Amino acid sequence: MKKSRDMMSRHHGKSAGAVKAFLWIYSTATFMILVYMLYHSLRPRQDILSNTFGKPEKLSLDNYVRLIAKDHFFRYFGNSVMILATSLALLVFISSITAYGIARYQFKGRKFFRIYFLIGLMFPVQLGIVPVFQIMKNLNLINNPLSVILVSAANISMPVFMLTDFFAGLPREIYEASIIDGAGEWTTFRKIMFPMASPIVFSVCITVSVQIWNQFFLPLIFLQKDAAKTLPLLVVKYTGKLINTMDLAMAVSTLSTIPILLLFIIFSQKILDGVTAGGVKG
Amino acid sequence: MIQRLRKKPYVWFLLPGFILYTIFIIYPIFAAGQLSLYHWNGIGDKVFVGFQNYVDLFTNKDLMSQMMNALKNSITIFVLTVCIAMPVQITMAYTIYSKARGGNYFQVAVFSPQFISTPVIVFIFTLIFDGNIGIVNKLLEMAGLGAFTRSWLGIPQYGIYIVWAMITWAGIGVGMMYFIGAMKMIERDSLESAYMEGAGFWKRLWYIILPQIKMTILNLVLVSYIVSMTIFDYSYILGGTSGGINRNVDVMSLFFYRMAFGDTNPLGGNISANSMGMGTTVACVLFLMIFVIALIQLLLVYRKED
Repeated sequence: MKKSRDMMSRHHGKSAGAVKAFLWIYSTATFMILVYMLYHSLRPRQDILSNTFGKPEKLSLDNYVRLIAKDHFFRYFGNSVMILATSLALLVFISSITAYGIARYQFKGRKFFRIYFLIGLMFPVQLGIVPVFQIMKNLNLINNPLSVILVSAANISMPVFMLTDFFAGLPREIYEASIIDGAGEWTTFRKIMFPMASPIVFSVCITVSVQIWNQFFLPLIFLQKDAAKTLPLLVVKYTGKLINTMDLAMAVSTLSTIPILLLFIIFSQKILDGVTAGGVKG
Repeated sequence: MIQRLRKKPYVWFLLPGFILYTIFIIYPIFAAGQLSLYHWNGIGDKVFVGFQNYVDLFTNKDLMSQMMNALKNSITIFVLTVCIAMPVQITMAYTIYSKARGGNYFQVAVFSPQFISTPVIVFIFTLIFDGNIGIVNKLLEMAGLGAFTRSWLGIPQYGIYIVWAMITWAGIGVGMMYFIGAMKMIERDSLESAYMEGAGFWKRLWYIILPQIKMTILNLVLVSYIVSMTIFDYSYILGGTSGGINRNVDVMSLFFYRMAFGDTNPLGGNISANSMGMGTTVACVLFLMIFVIALIQLLLVYRKED
């Protein structure tokens, strides 16, 4: 068994070799370009623009100092983190109780709710944005991160779908044993059922947090005051007029990218497994 | 009342999700459908005009040509994704699945742009393709191909292909991981017996793997379709609200945004007197285009499963 698998991976042929070579080059180029960005972020603006490929005159952290001290990098960063954490917590909570409700109990309309929560996949948030904008205006939530949080956390079709499948697959005995032990419906969910779903919840968290962290459309529409803006909007501020702010664009791109990527690389095995699990379900 | 609800615990479990999801995901599309029947700019008087907005959209020459151009670009992105990106994804997935050396490294590298936000991706492409400071031109010069250097991002015809390249670079890892996941579900025995009977690397992919990941392929085709109809960030960041030089990077979602929120920025600039009316009209047309295709696909898949 083991042996034949090894043989199978040895006999790939020339064209497969070309694919592998391509993968090596592609992967390495992806990392190289990030290093290249990091390198430029340490150079002054004039140097980047007029002496792009020449020898650097000096490397310093000046760009970062300006970005953090004068341009409130950490305020934008904090806004992004706050929106991510709150939306994610709300989304995980809402989608797991919804999925549990559908999967655990027998009631009329159960099938309807299953489909109802799934059709959101065909209802892109962008297209309903005008009415949502009106709602937010009436609630006085424009320029309030809550607007972005509520809409991000309402997008529960995929998580509910994945979690419903999971809860429906759990043996009924676990639930019954817990109820007989005297635990209420809520305690049973919180203490017994929810912890068992943690692999699925993790997979949901990965997919959703990437989307929320990088989202551009909702913050663009709802957060128009600088004090409320998120990181991607700060990046656009600098990359919009590159001639004037090349140095800051480099610094902000590096600072908003490299730490996240390092986290990803450290936990890559776990994260990629989570993504794969989500894909198989979907 | 409370007593009766006590006996139905599922109501409490379903209620919060139902409310939030209905208000912010389902209701807005129907509200947009209703708004599209009015002449309105969000502030002034709402005047009921029936289907006049739809008639205007399809008969006004300027609007129609803008929409057709945006649609053409969106479809271009979709076709390129399905015809080029997807075969590449499958090939990469298959290579990694076949335990090629460096598989983990490939996975991490190919997937990592997913964690880079769109403005940074656009910026990175500027670093690569810019006329003056771009790496591509520098490499061409070094290779003695100086004649081929140009300011890649400034040429209108290339615009939409560059947008597609950005989308692909950023997102190719997700689909690849889904394909790897699907391939891992295949029984290894069938692969091994095919190998014993002399089926080579590519033959095994074609005859054993592909038929078994058909569902994943179909699902991702639908997802790519929805994405290309709703993708917004890249075109907006690269070309602004107007969609670039001669609207060369305009896409459906950006066209909708321009109609609803005006030509310069949200809440400012050139908002037409009918911005909300026309904006929601475009949104509804776009929604129908997504809904019909999604329905056809679901019916096809559903019928096959029966």
